[in-house]
Parts: sequence; structure tokens; C-alpha cells
Amino acid sequence: MGYVFERRRRDGLLVCTLPEPYAELLKQIVRELAEMIAAPPPGEVTDRLFPRAYLDPTEEDAEQEWQSFVHDDLVRAKADALEGVLRDLNGARAAGREQVAIDLDEEGETRWLQVLNDARLTLGTVLGVNEEARLDFPADDPRAVRAAIYDVLTEMQNDLVEVLLAEQPEEGTADEPEY
Amino acid sequence: MGPGTGTEEIVVPDTVEELWAEEVVRGETPWIVIVWNDPVNLMTYVTFVFQKLFGYSRAKAHKLMLQVHNEGRAVVSSGTREKCEIDVARLHAYGLWATMQRDD
Repeated sequence: MGYVFERRRRDGLLVCTLPEPYAELLKQIVRELAEMIAAPPPGEVTDRLFPRAYLDPTEEDAEQEWQSFVHDDLVRAKADALEGVLRDLNGARAAGREQVAIDLDEEGETRWLQVLNDARLTLGTVLGVNEEARLDFPADDPRAVRAAIYDVLTEMQNDLVEVLLAEQPEEGTADEPEY
Repeated sequence: MGPGTGTEEIVVPDTVEELWAEEVVRGETPWIVIVWNDPVNLMTYVTFVFQKLFGYSRAKAHKLMLQVHNEGRAVVSSGTREKCEIDVARLHAYGLWATMQRDD
């Protein structure tokens, strides 16, 4: 623990304060993700980050057309978000007691949410996370470190989401058909 | 009036609802967008994304999230094929596992 997301009344920015080692860890994760997104290896992780739109195999033509429309944009959006978070981390200001702080505007909040989520999707897929069991590896298992990082990212994302969710309007803005 | 011949009027629908209405009038099946349960996405995050992307009330977003969690899937939006393709892409940008299909 030790990190916190707080809305600053004065300017409405979301201030993320975190220990320096966390910031360094995040930089490393973001760099690795950016490398992966730039050249996604075929496999489970890529399938999870870039799922099909159509499950129906007879819609293969529509799937290919959809991919040709959106895939590059999705990759670019993820790459931009990663670059943005890395920029945020590199530009973090000292906040005392070996902590750093980052001021996030609305775009910043979104890219942090999305990057934390992509990092968790990637790690979670590699680790085979499931809903039934907690990740529990012996300390000498190389996966134990990744599992610990996954848990940290989960806590961070949860804290960030809780702040943002509480700020969402109670009432919707859309018509709400019954599905 | 559309450009060109001057004899044919081309009406371009300018809202998704108009497009949808046209498709329904033509007797075509509307499409639905489904979000599937996955073990990574946080329940709070999924609720937040539904509110943020679709403008649903907290209650509606929460209900859809629970449906995804408990039943494994939920229909979160519907409309023309084009609208659903956009919704799926937006959900993928947030890392939700979304697909689309005809509403049979």
C-alpha cells in the first residue's frame, strides 16, 4: 500500500501519490507492455487484448472487415495510453518521504484505468487467473513475483475505480431499454 | 435534395436511432452486443465502463454487471450492425470481452 488517488478540489485534478519503488515498477511494466503491443505475439494474451467482434464463424468476412477498420486504432490507442502513463511517471514530482505525485486530468484518469487494466489482463492471462482460486505460488516459483505484481495492480486499479465510480451520476443520460 | 440528378431525393439518416428505425422498417434483424464474464476485470470497473460508455444509470450499470458476473454474459447494447461494431470496439478499448450477433 502507500499509494492514494485523491480528487483535488482546487482544480478538479486527480492526484495520484505513490512510493517511488511503485513508480519504478509501473515504468517497467508499462515499457514491457508497450513492447508487447508493438509486436503482439500470437497467443492467449493477444487474443484477450484484441478479441474478435463476431463469434459466429460464418461472419468471417464481417470480422475481417471490422478488424481492418478498428484494429490499428485499438493498437494505437493502447500504445498512446502506455506512452502517456510513462510520461506521467517520468514527470512525477517529489512528494516527500520517498513518494512521488502525479496530477491527472480526465484523459489521464482514462489512460491510467486502461493501462492498469491492460496490464492486469496480460498478467492475469499469463498466470491463468480464475475466479475460484487465489493466485498462490511457492516463493521460489518465478510466477510468485508476477502474482504479487498482479495483486498490487489490482489494488491500485480498484482504488482508482472506486474514486471514479463514486463520481458517476446516479441517474443515467441514456434511454435504458430493457435487455 | 441529393446532388446529381435532381429527381431522386436521397435522405441521409443523421442519427443512430434513425438508422436503426430504417433497418427495422426494412425488416432486418437488429444486432446485440454481449459482454462476457472474465476472471480479471473488476466488478466495479465493469460497472464504471457501462456508465461511462453508455450513460446508463448506476442501478442499470450495476444490474448489467451482476448479470455478466452471475450468468456469464449480458446484452449491453443493441441496434444496427454499424452501431454494434462501434460499441464492441469501444468496449475492447476498455478491455472488456465483448462480441456481437444478430438478435434472433
